[in-house]
Amino acid sequence: MAWTKLWVIAYRDLIRNRRRTFFTLLAVALGLALLIVLNGFIAGILDDALQNSIRLQTGHVQVRAETYEDSRRSLQWKDLVEQPGEIAAQAATMPEVAAATPILWADTILNTSSESVGMQLYGIEPDSAFYDPIRASLVGGNFIEANDRGGVMIGKRMADSLGLKLGENVSLTTINADGVPEEGIFAIRGIFDSGVLVYDEATVFMPIAKAQSFALTGDRASTIIMLLHDENDADQVAAAVTAPGLQALTWRELNAVFLETMGTAMSFYWILDGIVMLIVAVIIANTLLMAVFERIREMGILSALGMKRRQVMQMMIFEASIISLAGIILGLAIGLGFVALLTQNGFVMGEMAGSTPTIPLSAVVYAKFAPETFAWLAVWTFIIALLASLYPAWFAARLEPVKALHAS
Amino acid sequence: MAIIELLDTSKSYRIGEIETRALDDVSLTVDSGEFTALVGPSGSGKTTLLQIIGCLDKPDRGTVTINGKDVTRLNANGRADMRREVIGFIFQFFALVPVLNAYENVELPLLLNGVGAKERRERVMGLLDAVGLADRINNRPDQLSGGQQQRVAIARALAPRPLMVLADEPTANLDTANGEQAMEIMKRLNEQTGTAFIFATHDPRVMAYARRTVNMLDGRIVDDSKKL
Repeated sequence: MAWTKLWVIAYRDLIRNRRRTFFTLLAVALGLALLIVLNGFIAGILDDALQNSIRLQTGHVQVRAETYEDSRRSLQWKDLVEQPGEIAAQAATMPEVAAATPILWADTILNTSSESVGMQLYGIEPDSAFYDPIRASLVGGNFIEANDRGGVMIGKRMADSLGLKLGENVSLTTINADGVPEEGIFAIRGIFDSGVLVYDEATVFMPIAKAQSFALTGDRASTIIMLLHDENDADQVAAAVTAPGLQALTWRELNAVFLETMGTAMSFYWILDGIVMLIVAVIIANTLLMAVFERIREMGILSALGMKRRQVMQMMIFEASIISLAGIILGLAIGLGFVALLTQNGFVMGEMAGSTPTIPLSAVVYAKFAPETFAWLAVWTFIIALLASLYPAWFAARLEPVKALHAS
Repeated sequence: MAIIELLDTSKSYRIGEIETRALDDVSLTVDSGEFTALVGPSGSGKTTLLQIIGCLDKPDRGTVTINGKDVTRLNANGRADMRREVIGFIFQFFALVPVLNAYENVELPLLLNGVGAKERRERVMGLLDAVGLADRINNRPDQLSGGQQQRVAIARALAPRPLMVLADEPTANLDTANGEQAMEIMKRLNEQTGTAFIFATHDPRVMAYARRTVNMLDGRIVDDSKKL
């Protein structure tokens, strides 16, 4: 039998009960739209968090002493990089490198007259392009200068929570390279608002020269951090800058915990994707079963005319295909529309942004187009819908002609 | 030439605890071109006999040979092939596909038989013309009267040029005028095409058209007579 006629019968059967067909189609569309928005949003979160982490903390490549451990924030000389300025200058000459700068990290306690808070001290080269995002997010005062011996910058969120004002003095305490507590008084020169709450809450910047003298590290640094023009060059640059006694780490290694965390989180989202698709499948199966029950006598007629079971099945699967394809087209339109909206306006994360220290989220997260993911979602929705139609189709094909003809 | 041969055919149905013998050792031979009425009261086995001849159902016992082939040995697909190629059906409730128009309903069995587009069109238009519905080809069943629907069903039954048309109470849902018109058309097409018509009925006016009358009672053939 010409397939076109099976398509025609399938299509006309669907428009016979327009309301039911419309709501089924809408369920497919909304299910797919939900999946697209959800996945676009997740892609946005992943990208935002990863880029924030690279931009504000890890860079694309870091050179450290072989013995340096991220978790210990050691200030012992053996764990630090010697002559970091030279290494940074040499790296900066590479065409792939956009910025290279040494940093000295230290755990510190910020004391006010009434409170003490644990923070991360970043000894930085203020002129480096690596800090352009922080420079751009300055909301009060000035960006610290390289020769400033008594000034620091803190995040707005920290300033607000401790009631600190620009120009006010704070005390910082750290355990220096010799393992001895060191305390200094510093004036707040600038307040920044990067939008990444874990930085705005827990980071204090000072010039590296002052940090080195404060922590007694000489001219050593914890790391030389590099930003590249293209993150795909990370392995190549890492291989070029490594040297005996040093280790070069790429952004993948530096963000391993974060990437692993996100990988685990993604598996939950896949389960969620699966649940939404199953709901769509149940709705389609239900609609087609209803359509079969309504047309049992008609199935008997077709069977009496000599239509084979295979053809009856094909007809029902065609019906599922029409509903699914129409639903998928509508779902793509709705889903992509919402994603486009969320790429422009973003989603305000509020307190949620700071709730996970390993995931540096911005206060406003923007969705991201993930064409490959969206295409797979559409394909899977179609496949699941077709699979869901198999039982109703099989049921219709197995109807005995005599019983079907005499059904009321 | 015999196109239908039933030998000692029986069929029982079980409804709850009660078993009803719908056909009881029925033997019957029908030749090509016959215009035969199966008559008898309700429950006499007429419809069951038509369903078994029409390969819609299988007997419990006995053999049923259609066009030289023992159809009791066929599987579901084989019976579907037989229905598609050599049997046309006309039902009491018209049984048109509601989403297809008159033309498409008549065309459907031709599509199932793989008839080419040009020949399909010729046959469909010829048959709709023969049943007086050439001007209603685009009407769907719900836009046709009962009589018109049954005429479309007659055209559809004849479209694949079957050896036989089986009609179960074809006039039961029609008024007298439409019933007579349907019978006249069937009789004329029987004479023109040579297709055998076997129709179940208990309407004396319909019986009057038959050249052969097979009388049934309690699942048995009790009388089989031909008009001279």
